[in-house]
Amino acid sequence: MANQETQLVDDILIRGRRKLLTMGATSLAGMVLGAALPETAHAATTYTDNDILNFALNLEYLEANFYYQAAFGTTIDVANAASTAAGAPLITLNQTVGTKGAVTGGSKVPFTTVTVGSYAVETAVEEGKHVRILQTALGSLAVAQPAINISASVGGAWPTLATAAGVAGGATFSPYASDANFLVGAYVFEDVGVTAYHGAASLITSSSNLATAAGILAVEAYHAGLIRTTISYLDPANASGYLTITGQISALRAKLALAALLGVSGGTYDANPDDFGLASVNVSLAGGASVSSTRITDADATNVIAFSRNTTQVLNIVTGGGAVNVAGTATVSPATGVFFPAGLNGLFK
Amino acid sequence: MDTLDTIVNKALSRRNFLAGAGAVAATATLAGCSNGNVTTPTTTSNGLYTDADVLNFALNLEYLEAEFYLRAATGSGLQASDTTAGSASPYQTVGSVTVGYAAQVPVTATSPSNQQQILNEIAYEEQQHVRFLRSALGTAAIPRPAIDLSFFGPLAVAAGIYTSAQAAFNPFASFDAFLIGAFIFEDVGVTAYSGAAPLISAAGVTAGYLTAAAGILAVEAYHAGYIRTSITGRGITNGSNTYIAIANQVAALRATLTVGNSAAPSSTGSVETNLVLPTSTVTPSAIVAADPTNAVGFARTVNQVHHIVYGSPTVGVKSGGFFPSGTNSIFATTTA
Repeated sequence: MANQETQLVDDILIRGRRKLLTMGATSLAGMVLGAALPETAHAATTYTDNDILNFALNLEYLEANFYYQAAFGTTIDVANAASTAAGAPLITLNQTVGTKGAVTGGSKVPFTTVTVGSYAVETAVEEGKHVRILQTALGSLAVAQPAINISASVGGAWPTLATAAGVAGGATFSPYASDANFLVGAYVFEDVGVTAYHGAASLITSSSNLATAAGILAVEAYHAGLIRTTISYLDPANASGYLTITGQISALRAKLALAALLGVSGGTYDANPDDFGLASVNVSLAGGASVSSTRITDADATNVIAFSRNTTQVLNIVTGGGAVNVAGTATVSPATGVFFPAGLNGLFK
Repeated sequence: MDTLDTIVNKALSRRNFLAGAGAVAATATLAGCSNGNVTTPTTTSNGLYTDADVLNFALNLEYLEAEFYLRAATGSGLQASDTTAGSASPYQTVGSVTVGYAAQVPVTATSPSNQQQILNEIAYEEQQHVRFLRSALGTAAIPRPAIDLSFFGPLAVAAGIYTSAQAAFNPFASFDAFLIGAFIFEDVGVTAYSGAAPLISAAGVTAGYLTAAAGILAVEAYHAGYIRTSITGRGITNGSNTYIAIANQVAALRATLTVGNSAAPSSTGSVETNLVLPTSTVTPSAIVAADPTNAVGFARTVNQVHHIVYGSPTVGVKSGGFFPSGTNSIFATTTA
């Protein structure tokens, strides 16, 4: 299995573990003292399945609140007529692990197309269910919802991120403004969810947790396929510039992911991006001449295996670079910024 | 590295997976497939199959998908060098491909403007999965088994989409027909990888097999998301439920073929989510195939997948459907 792609993936995983080992004793001590952990039998490692599931729960809090706001105009813990009609779970936020925070920003998208509106409703319901099952699986160990910023106001997460990506008019970008802008907002999250669950899969030790993680990984990739397909149909030849925007977002994610690796290793690693937008590429079929192809699937060009990111890489993306110091030579914990202004709750932060 | 409960969990998962699989288990043991990758000696089931067996199971499915998608895009299939047997494989015969239709999906008035690019993408990606698995397996790689794409016709009849008196269902006839053909495969691919991932040994996890399988699982779900989004979107655009209804008939057939088998992933035995035609911006679509309570994707056992690709709910079947000579796999015989 000494092939390049899996070697890279292995390296990423190893680096992820090294990061964990160097995290320092304070967070580990806090974790052990936190409660009687049912799955801490894996004492030889520095983290448990529960830590990994809690990391995922932070991300699901973020995604679910974004989609609830876009589809229903509410947060996950406050039901309204729209969320009730759609059957979206009402989430209880009484968890005491970590620091509970509020959700800033977000509003209902004035959807005009049945296609995009119905997709938003479906995705919101499913992300709400992911929050619920992770909370249920973790029980009293589930982390509280951290402070989340999904604001499109000046200085909010969305204009900040869009500006960093170089999106034209990024300073006023709002994913709540239109069907197409909503798709861009969803694009920001979904491929990241895929890489995060993919990266987590190999860290999980219990086969039942692995099955759950694999199942959620599949759903995140269904969502990502849905979003990327819809943008591709909306603007197949990039006439409105949406394919360009996806490329800008993917490039930013790849840059932040790479920075996290460099911050860990302190050296050069891999200049190849781990993220691709929707611009067409050329491929060869059965040894034939090169032909043009869409890029619905976000995966490496050779083996077509979806990308994997470690927790530091994911942290650096969702905090807009908060996990790496300014010089890009060391990791920073807790990472704060953009979507998580006060950082995440749990071991991985 | 393995802690006790890890080993127990693995053993339990394998025991469930192998429930009722005595015949297969015996065959596997006789085949002596111990390449050193499975190294948890405290469980008795470890000698039953290896990581290579699990990857070769996946390779059978990738051969099938690649032959279908390449034909849809170009009219011809895998190049010969991508179909050969590894020198150490117990299977040495390269199977032939029966098509039964004029392959290559035509561009028509209802085609999306980027139809050919989309066909090219899926064809390329499944071709590369074949190449990746063959490369990872090395000398253990199985050759392409015999594949019969004309099975789409009888399958469509079995699903109630066509009557036997009509011309056979042709998945290459139009883009809409292609989407139905692809629908037959893609959710199955997702569930097959989900079901296979926990079978990989601890040594295989270290070797990168698990993360590779998870990465391919994600790509299959991207594809499934693409296919289901396209069928739903075209239904909304056309104000028509026709192809959504057909896809749901396929899903119902898949459920029928596997309900009643052991280790059904949900209490009802169904691992399908029917597509719906959304009627407004506030009614949900059903792009994602996942359990309705937790929105966690489904898994199928290798046995359930075989029931589907053979088109048979019968126990003890060794071949049929898309694989007229069976899969090149120690899991080839269906069990309860």
